[in-house]
Amino acid sequence: MTSVTGTVPAGYVGAVASIGAEDVPALYEGAKFYSSAVGDANRSSLTSWLTGLLERNGPVPLRRVETVDPDTPCVSVCVLGSGSALADLPPAGDEFELAIRQIERLQGVRFGAVYPLAAATVSALVPVVAAAQLGVPLIDADGMGRTFALIHHTAMHLAGLSPTPLVAFGPTGESVLVEAPDGRRADRLLRSNVDTLGGWAALAAYPTKAGLLRHAALPGTLSRIANVGRLLLERTDPDLLVTRLGAITGCRRLARGRIVELEHLSRPSDGTIPAHPSSVVVDETGGLGRQLRIELRSEIVAVFADGALAAGAPDLVCLVDVSRGALATLDSLELGDLVDVIVTPADAIWYSTEGMEMVGLGSHGISLNHPRRR
Amino acid sequence: MRPRPSTLPITLGELVRIQPLAGAEGLYLADASRRVEQVVLAETFERLRRCTPHVLVVLHDEAATGGWSLAAALHLAWERNVTAVVVSRTVAGPSSAALAERLNMSLLVIDADPVNVALQLAGQVSAPAAARALRQAMCAERLAEQTSIRGVLGVLNSELQGVPVALVMAETVVAGRAIAAQPRPNVERVEVEVHAPGERPWGRLVAAVPVHGPVPAEQVASLLRLARPALQAAWARTRLDSSARAAHEQAAFGMLRRLAAQPADEEVGGRSGEPAAGPGDLVAGRFRDPAGDVDVPAWSSELGWQVGGANRAVWLAPVRPTGEPPEEVTHLVRASWQRGRAGWPLIVQGDGWVSWHSSADPDDVAPVRRAVAAFRDSAAAHDLVIGVGRAHRGVPGLLRSVAEARLAAHVARERGPAAVQWFDQVGPQAALAWLPISEIAQVADLCLNNLMDARDRTALVQTVLAVLDCGGSLSQASLRLGVHRNTVLARLSRARQLGLTFDEPEQRLALHVLCYALVSQWTDSNGHPHAGTAGAPGGASAGGAPGAAGAGGGVAGGAGVGGAAGAPAAAGGAQLSGRRPAGPGAEPPGWPHTGRRSA
Repeated sequence: MTSVTGTVPAGYVGAVASIGAEDVPALYEGAKFYSSAVGDANRSSLTSWLTGLLERNGPVPLRRVETVDPDTPCVSVCVLGSGSALADLPPAGDEFELAIRQIERLQGVRFGAVYPLAAATVSALVPVVAAAQLGVPLIDADGMGRTFALIHHTAMHLAGLSPTPLVAFGPTGESVLVEAPDGRRADRLLRSNVDTLGGWAALAAYPTKAGLLRHAALPGTLSRIANVGRLLLERTDPDLLVTRLGAITGCRRLARGRIVELEHLSRPSDGTIPAHPSSVVVDETGGLGRQLRIELRSEIVAVFADGALAAGAPDLVCLVDVSRGALATLDSLELGDLVDVIVTPADAIWYSTEGMEMVGLGSHGISLNHPRRR
Repeated sequence: MRPRPSTLPITLGELVRIQPLAGAEGLYLADASRRVEQVVLAETFERLRRCTPHVLVVLHDEAATGGWSLAAALHLAWERNVTAVVVSRTVAGPSSAALAERLNMSLLVIDADPVNVALQLAGQVSAPAAARALRQAMCAERLAEQTSIRGVLGVLNSELQGVPVALVMAETVVAGRAIAAQPRPNVERVEVEVHAPGERPWGRLVAAVPVHGPVPAEQVASLLRLARPALQAAWARTRLDSSARAAHEQAAFGMLRRLAAQPADEEVGGRSGEPAAGPGDLVAGRFRDPAGDVDVPAWSSELGWQVGGANRAVWLAPVRPTGEPPEEVTHLVRASWQRGRAGWPLIVQGDGWVSWHSSADPDDVAPVRRAVAAFRDSAAAHDLVIGVGRAHRGVPGLLRSVAEARLAAHVARERGPAAVQWFDQVGPQAALAWLPISEIAQVADLCLNNLMDARDRTALVQTVLAVLDCGGSLSQASLRLGVHRNTVLARLSRARQLGLTFDEPEQRLALHVLCYALVSQWTDSNGHPHAGTAGAPGGASAGGAPGAAGAGGGVAGGAGVGGAAGAPAAAGGAQLSGRRPAGPGAEPPGWPHTGRRSA
């Protein structure tokens, strides 16, 4: 990894110029921070695949979007579907490349760069795979700045870019091409095909030009997760970890407390996003002694302190296991765990009216005003 | 100004006593005295935000999806200062209760449809008087279910939260919360008389109603009145129960006696089946070693009796025996004796009551001493004397101690009400206590006509008794009587003329006993001559004789003397017994005098 701190714009901390094999663990850890709900099922297979690719093909150049020629055609990739399906049915290796090639054939273009649809979870790693396979640079920007559930929950969609034509390429060698003008329709069409494709699929979408991405994508998100990952790998004292993470991500600790109740899958889905609502109740130790209720869907969507909304989507909320000084994934929580509740603000665009409508609390069935918009 | 009771807003505490909230579970009840002015069926958080203080919120639909929504609703309710939140049971969990407690917000969970519940509640809140009437009806049902005085007071105190209630008898709190009877500032005292059967005043229900409290005094008074029949029934029930227990104990004690006496009866030739009469009958153990083995029967411990250790008996007896004591007196004596000593038995035996204390250490007299000391006031009030036996082991020992206690009680009679006599201190003098005073006096009536007709017979008999007591010493007798020696001489001379030939050796013992009997009969227990003893001899003794009251008028004078033996001592005053009746207590009341009266 080569830092180019001398040339970065003000406020842009520790940008990364390329991603090599040695950066893969940090990238993985950072990607996990931005979607703490995901377990570690794919860790070894994915990271070793990517590490091998980067060792064979050399590091992938990571370019800030404003340094790329505005006319360069570029496309986003991500993993669509379930992470456990990905563990059960590992990729053959060429799914992402073939998905991109299909769009190239359809549009008659050659993509000069790849960018992540969502720089978090495994979807932060697969663009590196695709860039290494295609031999093109990777753009240090993404559409979400974290993960959201649906493919049109992106900054590009808000900026008016269409996700289509898009191709979903399954591990069985089959693929689906979707062409629909409306992002929401495209998501529905796609989602109904994922199961048939094998539970997960390599998605190539939002084909566009680099010039449009300068205004449509969220910049610097890939180098950010690499930096976050480096911090997380150090395994320091939790207090110090939170302070350091705060410098990079703007996160803060809402409270420290002990888990006193886990409420699993007790209620029907109440939002537009497919997920089972459940709750974790944490009794704050020290401070005000508040009762924190953490609402879970496929991620943490809201935190109530004594019934008052303290944080909520699109804020990114994660739990740090105090005893281990590491992120606690949602499937590893147990009664009695001492956790820090960490709130990280999402990128500013998600707090706009349009952004809130799309990914705010209302989309999870919580009809309360967000604390930042009260 | 205080609003009229009919329009006084209903409180949360009142609402949770009647349906539908009576069926609700209070996960947390912050303040039952908070008023409820309005009911809001909140479907959205927006509706919750518009709530005014003192409303009761029923959550419904979007506001009641559980998890975060109840937490958020509780927070909003706290912000809006509502009285309580009602929600379906399915959405509330332990953490909801914890949050409600943290926010001090009442939270009730219901199983019924929230919309129906809200409608019913709205009706109750808009007509508080009707809701209160319903509540009183339910309270009456609860009261009717109670079978004990304590239970009735428990219902009243739980119904009237914040208003302590007590049952007071003669300024003493018998049940309930004592604070109700204490004068306190800003408290209105509500009292309701409770009558025993026969409209006799029995006690008062007293409630201390806070002046600015949520419950109006009128409502408290009507609730207290509702409780009266239940209290009376509970009181009657305790009386019934205690009668049954008394009968049970009496029968068991009879069994115990029979058990101990069985071998002795065989020794003396099958003299069985005869109830205890004289002291000898009582002392079954007299015939046998007191430490003789009689297994303690299991049923004695079922009654709560302890017989296994060293038993020290206590005999409670009236100063003037009138046969078996009336049930009312037994009830009072039992209540007084067992106050603080609920485990001690109290069994009616003949004219008195037996109790005992069993202890591992025969020399441990402290419990009995305390019991006797605590009972002395009651003994004085009921004209009772107390005899205490020695400690003996086992069942035979118990019966021996009972006999001793009884003997001691007879000795104690000489000293009047509340006298306590320990058998250890009695000695041979006890023999005198068993003298059939009345019968001997009757003998005087028959054998010493002249003396008994003399106007100065009292002085003559007292003088002869004094001289005999002093072994013939005239000077000692004159000192004792406080008269001159010559007066003594003159009286002796006159007594001799009237038949009191005390200096003839073969008559001396008989005349000594006779004089003792006459003086005892003419003198009350305090040593004062009976009223009229110095007057007309015949009618005089009728008034003050023991047991004269209630005498069987038809008993012919003297008919019983020397009559058929063996008739058992039965209860009642009309008993005719030629044999010495069952101790002084079973004396046929008044019969020596009826003869004179008819004569």
